[in-house]
Amino acid sequence: MDNVTLLLEGFATAMQPEYLLYALLGVTLGTAVGVLPGIGPAMTVALLLPLTYTLEPTAALIIFAGIYYGGMYGGSTTSILLNTPGESSSIVTALEGNKMAKAGRGAAALATAAIGSFVAGTIATVLLTVLAPTIADLAVTLGPPDYFALMVVAFVTVAALLGSSISRGLASLALGLFAGLIGTDTLSGQPRLTMGMSVLADGIDVVVVAVGFFAVGEALYVASRLRHGPVEVVPLGGKWMTREFWARSWKPWLRGTAIGFPIGTIPAGGADVSTFLSYAAEKKLAKRPEEFGKGAIEGVAGPEAANNAAAAGVLVPLLTLGLPTTATAAVIVAAFQSYGIQPGPQLFTNNPAMVWALIASLYIGNVMLLVLNLPLVKIWVKVLQIPRPYLYAGILLFAALGTYAVNFIVEDLVVLLVIGVVGFFMRRHGYPVAPAVVGMILGPMAEEQLRRTLTISQGNPVALVDSPFAMVAYGLLALVLITTLVLRLRRNKVDEVKVPA
Amino acid sequence: MTSVDSPTPTADPVRGRQIEEYVFGGLIVVLGIFTLVEAGTIKVPASASSIGPRAFPYAVGVLLVATGLAAVVATVRGKFGEQEDAEDVDADARTDWLTVVKLLAFLVAHLVLIDLVGWPVAAMLLFAGAAWTLGARPWWKVLLIAVVLSLVIQVAFASGLGLSLPAGIFEGVPLLDG
Repeated sequence: MDNVTLLLEGFATAMQPEYLLYALLGVTLGTAVGVLPGIGPAMTVALLLPLTYTLEPTAALIIFAGIYYGGMYGGSTTSILLNTPGESSSIVTALEGNKMAKAGRGAAALATAAIGSFVAGTIATVLLTVLAPTIADLAVTLGPPDYFALMVVAFVTVAALLGSSISRGLASLALGLFAGLIGTDTLSGQPRLTMGMSVLADGIDVVVVAVGFFAVGEALYVASRLRHGPVEVVPLGGKWMTREFWARSWKPWLRGTAIGFPIGTIPAGGADVSTFLSYAAEKKLAKRPEEFGKGAIEGVAGPEAANNAAAAGVLVPLLTLGLPTTATAAVIVAAFQSYGIQPGPQLFTNNPAMVWALIASLYIGNVMLLVLNLPLVKIWVKVLQIPRPYLYAGILLFAALGTYAVNFIVEDLVVLLVIGVVGFFMRRHGYPVAPAVVGMILGPMAEEQLRRTLTISQGNPVALVDSPFAMVAYGLLALVLITTLVLRLRRNKVDEVKVPA
Repeated sequence: MTSVDSPTPTADPVRGRQIEEYVFGGLIVVLGIFTLVEAGTIKVPASASSIGPRAFPYAVGVLLVATGLAAVVATVRGKFGEQEDAEDVDADARTDWLTVVKLLAFLVAHLVLIDLVGWPVAAMLLFAGAAWTLGARPWWKVLLIAVVLSLVIQVAFASGLGLSLPAGIFEGVPLLDG
């Protein structure tokens, strides 16, 4: 059937009041966790994974995608209005946005971030709609060695591109792979690395790992060096949208989209890299470069657009190849798996109704997010001011609850505690946690593809590279790694700008 | 800063961080060796084809050892890991170990108490204890929020989701016991 017809059918599903409500729930939750420091979309989706036991797949995935998109919007509010920004993919927004807010132009900064996110999110979703089915068609012919190659690509790029140290990124990946090994081997039925403990025989649940690394690890880490005193928010001031606002914003939005979407689709470190690139581009093209570092609106408009376009881009390899390139995407793969659905090329042929409803809900979610984040921004400012002791106590409580609710056994909480402590030390020593989560979820899939490949080839390892696709994948991997080194040098230059600011 | 009561064992924080980096990198190496040894004990069924259940664990073990060593070597060469930053992290504050230990203690108490007195009480203690530790005052407000929050969650689970958290001392109480 024609893809346009399928998309319209997707809209027909997603527009049903029930699904609209799920989308609203998702984007609202997403904005909230985006606004709040300490919790991100990956952890929220992980905590809500038990929903997959009660909700049907389309509903759950609409919620999760909404959380993912919403997190991107909410983060910008925090970067602009909070005196102490953080959160990697919005750091760049803080450079100019925070300055604008302090100069009494906070409203314009929020507006360009929200409208830019909407424009970029919508254009990128259109690109996703057009590209995904085509890529899926091409991907149907892929065999086990091709999938194994893709996973190796994902492992290496996620581990090497996130964080500041390649060896620490790979170590984090290895820790995740280790966690994924624990349990019963699916192919031979043998227990592995269970240390004779019956709790570990079924493996460690993804929820426990993701929540342990993200929630408990983060809460312990922040608590160890908590900024005390009231949360300082810059008062919201200035005009929302003037003629100058539109004139200076629309080009950066489009350029940000053009930079963000392709970067999102390739496993190149996700939204983070795209915002740095967009910022550098805007600075170079600016008519008044002297304003950069003092509150240039282009420096908010471009990176925020890039950020959201990259988020949509990440969904391309996720939906068409089953390949997660960010931690949130990895947890969404786990959600698919708990329904017995393998995201990948067959998704569009086997579950067309679901996948098109999901894509349609992305368009709807973007509209909802624009409304939620502009007229209702005052609510989010209140959310942002939640006293930190209660916020982190709440994160710990919900982490424990989410973990306990998986199997209702206390032993899972012991595992959660251990993973939380590991996550705490990883943060202290510059080990990014996202590769661990990606490794945990993708590891068992990669092993299966590897063993299938070698079973078919009767142990001949040449089979791993004996396909044009795998060869191209490994070749591109080398290329991406080289590009990254170049990008990293550029990024260091942006960092240098940041220091005197 | 209010973290006056943090007992730092080392006088020099840089030296302390360095030791910690060595220990963490070393533990990754140890985990790798453990994985390699354990991988050798995995039973390989006779039916196993070319590559059995041992190969991947071996590879992961090697990766752990290699990356752990790389981290240790980087530390020797003076390249420390960059501490993660976050909105609520005070970059100038020294590590407040006492707070971390207290939070872990409340988590342990929580998991021990679930089976003894039920989820609502265990949850109250975790939330109130963590909030108090992190500086929430006055105590009655902390306690009030903890009680309301845990009871609301308990009721939501029992009546809304149809999953029942162990009610413990509230067993048989309508709404709280699902």
